[in-house]
Amino acid sequence: MADEEKSKRGSLLDGAKSVLYGMAGHDMSRYALKTRGSMEHLFILITMGDLLGIPILPPYYSLRILPYVVPQISTWKRRMLRERDLTDALA
Amino acid sequence: LSLAKIFEEQPDRRYIMFGGKGGLGKTTFSAATAYWLAKHGQKVLVFSVDPQASLSDIFQQDIFGKGAVEIMPNLYAQEIDADQRIKEYQQEIRGKILDMYGLDQVPEEIENYIQAAAAEPAMEESAIFDAVVDIVVSADYDYYIYDLVPLGHALYYLSMASVYDQWIDKITGLRTEMEEYSQVAAVMQRKKETEEDAILRELQFIKERINKSSGILTDRVRTAFFFVVIPEEMAILDTKKAAGLFAKYSVPLSGYIVNRVIPETLAQQEIPEYLRHRLTMQKGHLATIQRELGSDVLAYIPEMERDITGLGMIEKMAHEMFGG
Repeated sequence: MADEEKSKRGSLLDGAKSVLYGMAGHDMSRYALKTRGSMEHLFILITMGDLLGIPILPPYYSLRILPYVVPQISTWKRRMLRERDLTDALA
Repeated sequence: LSLAKIFEEQPDRRYIMFGGKGGLGKTTFSAATAYWLAKHGQKVLVFSVDPQASLSDIFQQDIFGKGAVEIMPNLYAQEIDADQRIKEYQQEIRGKILDMYGLDQVPEEIENYIQAAAAEPAMEESAIFDAVVDIVVSADYDYYIYDLVPLGHALYYLSMASVYDQWIDKITGLRTEMEEYSQVAAVMQRKKETEEDAILRELQFIKERINKSSGILTDRVRTAFFFVVIPEEMAILDTKKAAGLFAKYSVPLSGYIVNRVIPETLAQQEIPEYLRHRLTMQKGHLATIQRELGSDVLAYIPEMERDITGLGMIEKMAHEMFGG
């Protein structure tokens, strides 16, 4: 009986937390992830700049990092080479 | 102070380097020092960081790209084949990519990048740099003798270490900051753990290796750096300039060795005018050396009557350098 009550109270608390998260936290975490995404692209630029024809030191060690960024390479290139225009403001 | 004494009094100095302009005798001194130490029961590796290495020539044995080759008991020599190392390294990277993503072919774009990176001029130096780290961390020998590249390259090599170090510091910082943002998001979303950042780990590994190598070059306790100079004006000027630059990178300078001194006793003999002129010129330059480098000069090595190749001549050279 007591257990049931406890879990009920627990799920109520969880629900409240979720609502609170939706109200305040969600935007913040989205912002944090977005910032991280931008930094990821910056990171790839300074390590893999050669891919765009911008040689940035030093190639020997950037090769070590290459395997980890393989999946991001294509989206990164698109982002870096994309022309800025009006639709950017809408995005 | 004599050379032999330096080695006896500073037994902690296990990384020995000879630097100087090209063609003054760095390889010769490296080989002779290795020979002398090996004869005294020390296990020695002499290795070359020069893409155009000449250890094979001086030992009259092809050792290029063959790893550490035993020349005589206790004496090992190694010439790093940078091209080979780069090829193996590229293959390793390809293997890792295929393995991580379960591909059976490296995507074209990535493959192009791997090939383009290998063609960069800095690649060869970096590969050698990395190979040297492998050698010195192995700790298989009592003494490591670096047959260094000519001065300009050696300076480049040193400055590369500090540039690398700063570069890695910067991007490690960026990576750490990225990690913080991930964690913020994870906390907000109440995830228990974030994935460990494999790239950050890789960066720290790279940093450690670079520090290891440049750390040895500037270690006052374990490293002895000797400058080779000859009694000629250009060589003296260049050496002084280089010594200043090396000091800037805080490379501990142990002393100078003056090579190719024409024996002065020749002056008493019947010699052609040409040689007499050279002797007079040499006298002036030796005085300059004496005045400016003075007590830092550890040995004066006479010009030999023939090329120094093969163990017989190396032994003779070792005798000139260390006596007994």
